[in-house]
Amino acid sequence: MPGRPILVVEDSDEDFQTVQDAARRAQLPHPIVRASSGSDCLRQLHGDLRGRLGLVLLDLNTPGDDGREALREIRSDDRFKALPLVVLTASANPRDLQFCYAHGANAYHVKPVDHALHLQVLQQIFAYWLGSVVLPA
Amino acid sequence: MNSRATADPPLPWGTGPYSIKRHGTTLTSCDSEPVQTPGCIQAHGALLVLRLSDLRILQASENTLQHLGEAAEQLLGQPVGHVVGSTGEARLREMLAHEALERGPAYAFTLPARSGALPLDVSLHTSGGVAVLEFESTVRAGQHSGSDFFLLVKSAVGRLQAAASVRGFCQQVTEEVRAITGLDRVMVYRFHPDHHGEVIAESRRDTLAPWLGLHYPAADIPQPAREIFKRIWIRPLPDAAGPLVEMLPLANPDNGHALDMTHCALRGASVMYTEYLANMGVAASLTMPIMLDGELWGLIACHHYAATQFPYQVRAACELLAQVASLQLKSAEQAEQLSYRLRLEEVHQQLVARSAREGDLLALTAHQPSLLDAIDAGGAALYHLDRWWCVGRVPDVTQLDELAAWLYGRPELESATRPVFVTDALARACPAAEGLEDIASGVLAVALSRQRRGLMIWFRPQTLQTVKWAGNPHDEPAVPGPQGLRLSPRASFEIFVESVRGQSPPWAGIEIDAALRLRLLVLELVITRAERLADLNADLTRSNDELDAFAYVASHDLKEPLRGIHRYAHQLLESAEAVDGDNRRRIENMMRLTVRMDSLLDSLLHFSRVGRMELELEDADLNAVLEEALEMIGAQRPESRCSIEIPRPLPNARCDPVRVREIYSNLLANSIKYKQQADVRIEVGYLAADEAAARPNAPPETAGQAIFYVKDDGIGIAQRHHEQVFRMFKRMHGRDDYGGGVGAGLTIVQKLVQRHGGRVWLDSSLGVGTTFFFTLPGMPGEAR
Repeated sequence: MPGRPILVVEDSDEDFQTVQDAARRAQLPHPIVRASSGSDCLRQLHGDLRGRLGLVLLDLNTPGDDGREALREIRSDDRFKALPLVVLTASANPRDLQFCYAHGANAYHVKPVDHALHLQVLQQIFAYWLGSVVLPA
Repeated sequence: MNSRATADPPLPWGTGPYSIKRHGTTLTSCDSEPVQTPGCIQAHGALLVLRLSDLRILQASENTLQHLGEAAEQLLGQPVGHVVGSTGEARLREMLAHEALERGPAYAFTLPARSGALPLDVSLHTSGGVAVLEFESTVRAGQHSGSDFFLLVKSAVGRLQAAASVRGFCQQVTEEVRAITGLDRVMVYRFHPDHHGEVIAESRRDTLAPWLGLHYPAADIPQPAREIFKRIWIRPLPDAAGPLVEMLPLANPDNGHALDMTHCALRGASVMYTEYLANMGVAASLTMPIMLDGELWGLIACHHYAATQFPYQVRAACELLAQVASLQLKSAEQAEQLSYRLRLEEVHQQLVARSAREGDLLALTAHQPSLLDAIDAGGAALYHLDRWWCVGRVPDVTQLDELAAWLYGRPELESATRPVFVTDALARACPAAEGLEDIASGVLAVALSRQRRGLMIWFRPQTLQTVKWAGNPHDEPAVPGPQGLRLSPRASFEIFVESVRGQSPPWAGIEIDAALRLRLLVLELVITRAERLADLNADLTRSNDELDAFAYVASHDLKEPLRGIHRYAHQLLESAEAVDGDNRRRIENMMRLTVRMDSLLDSLLHFSRVGRMELELEDADLNAVLEEALEMIGAQRPESRCSIEIPRPLPNARCDPVRVREIYSNLLANSIKYKQQADVRIEVGYLAADEAAARPNAPPETAGQAIFYVKDDGIGIAQRHHEQVFRMFKRMHGRDDYGGGVGAGLTIVQKLVQRHGGRVWLDSSLGVGTTFFFTLPGMPGEAR
């Protein structure tokens, strides 16, 4: 049976493909849905995906309303309080790190340039959030 | 001079009445002379003392025969009508009944001329329960005979009102008095706070030497004389060399008291005074006090070089002028103070405005106007931000430092509202100031701030340097009097010099107030500058933040394509077509290049942050810091391949331990990386600040500081590369030799050490090993 959808907020096609590669390798049954900006992400959250999402993978530096804006919006909405939200970004800026945790991100990962490492990080995220943890029904 | 020492010898006249004629020449101290009860009068007039109840004559001057036509002995016990006639007696009774006569003589009438005698002006006052009748010849033949004295005085008063400064006013007074009296020299003599006097205005016959600016010691006018001048308005002495005439009897037969002659125009002059005048060649004098707020402010002193007469009308006019001068002086002084205060304020405002414009206190001392142009002083010095700013004649910097240290011990400077210390005789209070009298006898100091030891000081030289001897005191004849050269002008000058040695003119209240107001202005200036600096710092912080954000964004944006390239290369490598041969190697190289670029970007980002982050200084145990550093690089340190020696425990140091850990981990990693044999030996140690040991290549500014080192037996660094190793991305070896690296580690070490205010350097020989040294003074220095 298909799992709950994973929403990937990512403007880079290559990075999105890496997510898809990692999901394929992990043989995830979850559909992968892409949002290419923060506002796109919010639109989808309030649309079809409402109440069905399993995980949000959030890139911070997306065009338009960026990932920070999306994070703030999501966490200020009571309906999404329990939604696992993992930040995956190129930014190692301690301010971004601080901001994301302060606004309710569940985890913060820095994207490695090394592709093998990148895949490894994604697989760990999938294994943990879709496998290890117990989420509310 | 004012108080009698208990050890004074007994007075020559014992408890009986004093007479200048009998006892004056035996005087040893001016201040003990009973000038109010001299027992004698001047011989140009006659004096009768009357019993108030019946107006009979109790005492008479010895010379009544000459002036009144009857010997004193004959007059004693007679009713006064015997001398002045019944009309005269009636007039006296009327005056006694209706007029206030206790405080000075009033003109009664003129006794007409009799055979062989001139007409006499008669004046009356009361003193100690008796009536005192004075007879003086009426002089109508003077230069103002027939003048309308009322008009003369009225126009003089009008001119006096126009004067704006005290000196100008006093100058006008001398001219008016000389015009009325026709005397040779008229001076205004001003008392300083230490009671010494100065001639501040003068009108004189052209042929006389000027005395303007001369100073005299306080002793020249003894205290009893000063007391009398507080109670009378005029003191005539028409013939200083004239004989003295004793009262008969010397004491009042009713009560045994000597006559108090305070208000007598004919009062006999002190031998001291007549001798003093004689020494100056002066034959006649007329003196009027100038009073200010009930205190004796100065004297109008008139000298004439021939005996003269002071007719009643002239004396009345002069008295009036002295009274007007006393009243008017206050407004002249206020006008002068006001204009001085305005000038002070204006100059201070200019100073502060210029300082604010130039952003520097240098403007207070280096330009016109300076601190010296407002407050009258010889020099001024300002201590601010650990240095002296000086203008004019000031002590040298070492002396200034000593003085400042002494001043900060003064409780006066601790006041929150008036932190001011004033003296006009510094060496008397501060022994360190001895020898500085020519520059700094007077000091006016205000504290700018106690914490930063900020001070403003004005200096005044001793009065000797400021007295202008416009008139040479030596060109007046110094005639020895009967008692020798006592109180000649020359002796006076010498006494004066003695009394003002090490003493400056005093600081005026408005000068002190102005200094305190300037202090507030300067403080405001300093605060404004601090605020501006804070603004600049805020700007700098803002731009640093922006730079920070830029560095992250840039690295993010640069890494995204890198990640893409790496990904495609990875995929190519995984695909079957590229698995073998040259293609595989090329793809692997491409991937290595992207990883390398990634680490270059990371190093750049890290370096840009190292220079700007805030250090969090604490007293850190370097052993713990080193332990953490060793843990950090643990992965690179297979136990068997490397030994770390710590000859003795490291000390504590004031530093940011997280940064120092990074310094150690970078240096240790380098030591491990650049080895020449399989095993590497590393020594981590220090040289204490006071330790005598070789400090190879140590920069001079590290003298007296503790030095920390990391020593290895690695490949070493050629001498010519000792500086280059610290350059960003500068590598000494092939990219992949010695485990690779981007060449940022030492650059970051250098930056971290510099942020601590320290220096880093090295000592190395190729093939022997390298020692890196660094210092941690604990004070964040300028990032270089």
